[in-house]
Amino acid sequence: MADVAETIQGILSELRRGTIIIGVLSQLSEPQYGYSLVTVLEDKGMTIEPGTLYPLLRRLEKQLLLKSSWDTNEARPRKYYALTAFGREVYEGLCREWNVLTVSMQNIMDQDGG
Amino acid sequence: MEMIDRYVHAVTQRLPEQQREDIRKELYGLIEDMLEEESPLSDPAPEAVEKVLLQLGHPSAMAAKYRGHDRYLISPVMFESYLSTLKIVLLAILLAMTVVFVIESIVEPSAILDYFTGYLVSLFSTGSQGFLWVTVAFALIDYGIRKKYAGSGELTKKWSPADLPPIPDPKSQIKLAEPVAGIIFTILFTIIFMFGSDLIGVYAHRNDTWHLITLMNPDVIGKYLPFIAILGILAVLKETYKIITRRRTGTLLAIHIGFSLVSLVFAGILLNTSGFWNPDFLSQLQAIGFAPQAGEDYEVIKTVWLTVTNNLFFFIALITVIDIISEIYKFYRVKLPVGEVISK
Repeated sequence: MADVAETIQGILSELRRGTIIIGVLSQLSEPQYGYSLVTVLEDKGMTIEPGTLYPLLRRLEKQLLLKSSWDTNEARPRKYYALTAFGREVYEGLCREWNVLTVSMQNIMDQDGG
Repeated sequence: MEMIDRYVHAVTQRLPEQQREDIRKELYGLIEDMLEEESPLSDPAPEAVEKVLLQLGHPSAMAAKYRGHDRYLISPVMFESYLSTLKIVLLAILLAMTVVFVIESIVEPSAILDYFTGYLVSLFSTGSQGFLWVTVAFALIDYGIRKKYAGSGELTKKWSPADLPPIPDPKSQIKLAEPVAGIIFTILFTIIFMFGSDLIGVYAHRNDTWHLITLMNPDVIGKYLPFIAILGILAVLKETYKIITRRRTGTLLAIHIGFSLVSLVFAGILLNTSGFWNPDFLSQLQAIGFAPQAGEDYEVIKTVWLTVTNNLFFFIALITVIDIISEIYKFYRVKLPVGEVISK
């Protein structure tokens, strides 16, 4: 017999994978470095492993959604990421799609429940 | 912090050169940030470092996330065919080498130790060659397939259901036994030709020893060794292609015809090289008393020898032509509906 909690966790992590991108994009109107993003998202209830976030930031930069710059003024050099104009547009589009998605999901679950 | 250095090194060395420096700096920054969170006031304890690194996960998993995809020399789709081809090739090499070794030892039992050493050495060198070529062939085919899908965007571009390939006709399927036998015979033949051409001949037991009179002249064959090896490798590649596709295709037919013609030309060149046949064959037969010194019987043996050696090429050419026609027939039999074949 499969463990209910375990199965839920497995499916949930698949569901989260896409939402993480929206979460990351939402926080990058102002430049931020990777670890500050981890703590900010954590405070807002979205847990993301640094080991997942850092490669993701690079991938989003490669897709031209983000731009990066090194800040070497502080004691510790840090790479700051921020949305590009293209990234902002994509983020806004994603938000609209997300809203549509949640509405239809809500409908589906309501119907099923009642 | 030595352990941090080791971790960062372990991750970055798995990444492409041009990204390493940037990711290295980024990782150091991240680890320091994480350590600061662990113990904000004091210098980080080794336990804290360990905890942070464990949280980041295995270096190769980390590197894989940075790369964004897994890398293969031979992808899982091809791995099964690769493994079976490799096994067949290595077994065939073992078999062929053993045959050569056994015959050598029977002919000259006193030198068995030398032959055994030679056997082990050539087993190793030929085995490495076999391993190398099978791997290279599969890696190239794999690369080609990946390139095709990535390059032409075949997976992303629009397709229509009409583009779906037809279900292969069972008649067009190649039984696995065919290429397997092909590989084994090719390797047997090639290796015996390369390492044991001096063992092909007439064996006669006289005065408690084995006498061997070779048919061919190993010195002449020696000059052609690289070509024999190349032909052998090409033939194995051709059979490997069959193992992968398992279907008679136009490409396969073209490869087969091309290869047969090249082999035929090579056979022609080889057989026409002066001194290819052992020039003393008949007199050596006489020397051990296997053929009469003169007379009608000797004339018969001489005629047979000359006829065979002079006309072997035409015999090979005939077989090649028959083989090509049968392959073309097998190919078109599938292409055309049965009625059409009969009415032709």
